[in-house]
Amino acid sequence: MRGAIFKIEKDFDKEIRNFLKKTIVKKFFGAILIPCKVPANDSYAYLLIRDEALIEKASILPPVMPIQGGRVLKSFTRLGKIDAKVAVIMRPCEIRASIELSKLEQVDLTNVTLISVDCPGVIPLSDYLEDPVKGTDTFKEAFKTWESDSVRELCKVCYNFTLTGSDLHIGILGSEQGNLFLIPVSEKGRNLLDFFNINYENDISSWENIVKKKEDERKIKRKEFRENLRQEIEGIDNLLKTFSDCLNCHNCMRVCPICYCRQCFFDSDALNLPSTNYIKRAENRGSIKFPPETLLFHLGRMSHMITSCVSCGSCEDACPVSLPISRVFSFVAENVQNLFNYVPGMSVKDPVPTITYEEEELKEFENPYIETYNIQRM
Amino acid sequence: MSKTLYIDENVNDGIKKFLRCILENGKVKGVLTLINEGEKIAYSLISNPELIKYTVPLYPIMPLNAARSLSHITLSEPISEPIAVVIKPCEIRAFIELVKRSQGSVENIFFISFTCGGVYPIKMNVNGKINEKIDNFWRLIEKNEIDADLRASCKVCKEFIPYNTDMTIFLAGNKEINNQCRIFLNTDRAEDFAESTDGNIVQDKINTELIDELKVKRLEERKKLFEDKKIEKLGLEGLIDIFGRCISCHACGNACPICYCSLCYFDSQESEYKPVDYESELEKRGAIRVPPNTVTYQVGRLIHVGISCVGCGCCEDVCPSEIQLSTIFIKGSESIQEKFNYIPGKNPEELIPISTFDIKEFPEVET
Repeated sequence: MRGAIFKIEKDFDKEIRNFLKKTIVKKFFGAILIPCKVPANDSYAYLLIRDEALIEKASILPPVMPIQGGRVLKSFTRLGKIDAKVAVIMRPCEIRASIELSKLEQVDLTNVTLISVDCPGVIPLSDYLEDPVKGTDTFKEAFKTWESDSVRELCKVCYNFTLTGSDLHIGILGSEQGNLFLIPVSEKGRNLLDFFNINYENDISSWENIVKKKEDERKIKRKEFRENLRQEIEGIDNLLKTFSDCLNCHNCMRVCPICYCRQCFFDSDALNLPSTNYIKRAENRGSIKFPPETLLFHLGRMSHMITSCVSCGSCEDACPVSLPISRVFSFVAENVQNLFNYVPGMSVKDPVPTITYEEEELKEFENPYIETYNIQRM
Repeated sequence: MSKTLYIDENVNDGIKKFLRCILENGKVKGVLTLINEGEKIAYSLISNPELIKYTVPLYPIMPLNAARSLSHITLSEPISEPIAVVIKPCEIRAFIELVKRSQGSVENIFFISFTCGGVYPIKMNVNGKINEKIDNFWRLIEKNEIDADLRASCKVCKEFIPYNTDMTIFLAGNKEINNQCRIFLNTDRAEDFAESTDGNIVQDKINTELIDELKVKRLEERKKLFEDKKIEKLGLEGLIDIFGRCISCHACGNACPICYCSLCYFDSQESEYKPVDYESELEKRGAIRVPPNTVTYQVGRLIHVGISCVGCGCCEDVCPSEIQLSTIFIKGSESIQEKFNYIPGKNPEELIPISTFDIKEFPEVET
């Protein structure tokens, strides 16, 4: 792999901000979509910036992910693209969600240049909000070690923390040695570097080696995590127990970048049953929990979005009763995605399995009705 | 003086005994109340009397405002056979507001409520801290005092006496909660139910001094809360500071018992920005937050629900950004409700001010 090597003096955040400013001043980009601190300094939000002076407030790698970038880009481009070229700086799982959404026709990437950054993970939102100053320090520590226990549960075992389906990738792993890597992946990425006469033919194996090492470490951790989680959630009793605290607030769905339906089926009138139905069910079973259908919601949502789940962990961040929801979803997502040999968000070209049809597919899961029920053919 | 049912058990066992009795003798088909399944507490509609022993009807937790569940059950048709519900005063009030909006029906629902001591944030149910608190909670109920760890909305609630309830269990300030369960019978139906049990029915009256005493304390808390948050002087800057960390998940609206729309305006295509809107904001201001309309949503929602907000605090409980929503909504809705002299959920016959029209109304704010 080839890329540009950027000598950095102080912090990489500042160097990249300066570079982004230049892209605006030279009118290469008409706007930049990037996380910025909110006015009260207690969180971050995505800002679409044209005034280059405001880039100063931006942060390439904020300690938290309050809103998943995929959702942000959807909000920005769902009704069409703006005429200007826009650079979007996001974490790898946000890029991947954006690419999934573009395949699902919820995001328009035509005028968008996706720029990804090596990601050490994010601090859970509630931990950060307890004390934003301390949260920032915790994140700095996580950035230094890449092995922090303070990041989201899924971040701890994420091995898709680097180059994904973006146009340009910023390699910051190993940047303590004073080097930053700009790796163009697509035509859009190369155009950007060409415009600024940046040579991207350098050998970047030092970055590649460290990435590989971290990936391998994470894969081992992920395996352990899967084994432990399996014991916790396997079987219907464990599943019921895992979700028993659910309030049915549907917040997991609201913050999920992939759940793009304006109105979820599980919020529709389809599940408003006549009162006699509930009374009957209470009579049949002795009691019925309210709100009802909580597990049905989770399993239904899962079957709707799981092939595109990018394991970002936003759902768990937003759960008011701290269910291990992202872990369960990520666990199942890995199984399902392996089945289709599909990694969501890696390329705009790979078709989403749920919207492709193959006649000969997954035969082993088919349940031939006639054979199973031993029905005599007419 | 009104008829009162005395059951010689502590309040918790007393009400459970009563519930079991009316289920067994067929007065009701089911009971909607909190049940403790292991360490989890949730609302459940129970029809098997054997399960009543697992219930915790007076437990200081509100997983979600029960008005939402009652509306869910009765939206398409009223309940055909009687059920009893044991819910908090603000839950009944929210349900009455929903019924006024044709989102449910009170038919065949037997309401049991109590002079409410408030609930703890849902997080304390999740992390188990509530178990350490619960004994103290009941001690404070006897002393008619307010626990500092209650939901912010509960500490400042002045509507803790239930309206429109068949039965009112005497809790706040009751020194006898460990020996006796006293239930005021407000309706003929309640008397009929009470007579079908083996408790004693006597003439008694609610101790208004105790009620007034708690009300004074709650109002003091309310004043203090508003002063601490400098809520009167917030202005737009203040709102931007408070709602800056909002992640636009709209969980508050989803948890709110009054927000009944199946598709919120702020989730509709109507409120979505088009490319031209983004372009013009970029030109005008140099930058724009995406998704936009963070403060607009909050203010818009307050305008939509303010007249009926019962101050239950569920919005704050589910906010992943831990925004002090209930403080803003309680203050905002108080101002609106005072203007119309309207207490949501108090009188089922009274029309909601936003659904009535007066030719001569608020000329002073017209321009």
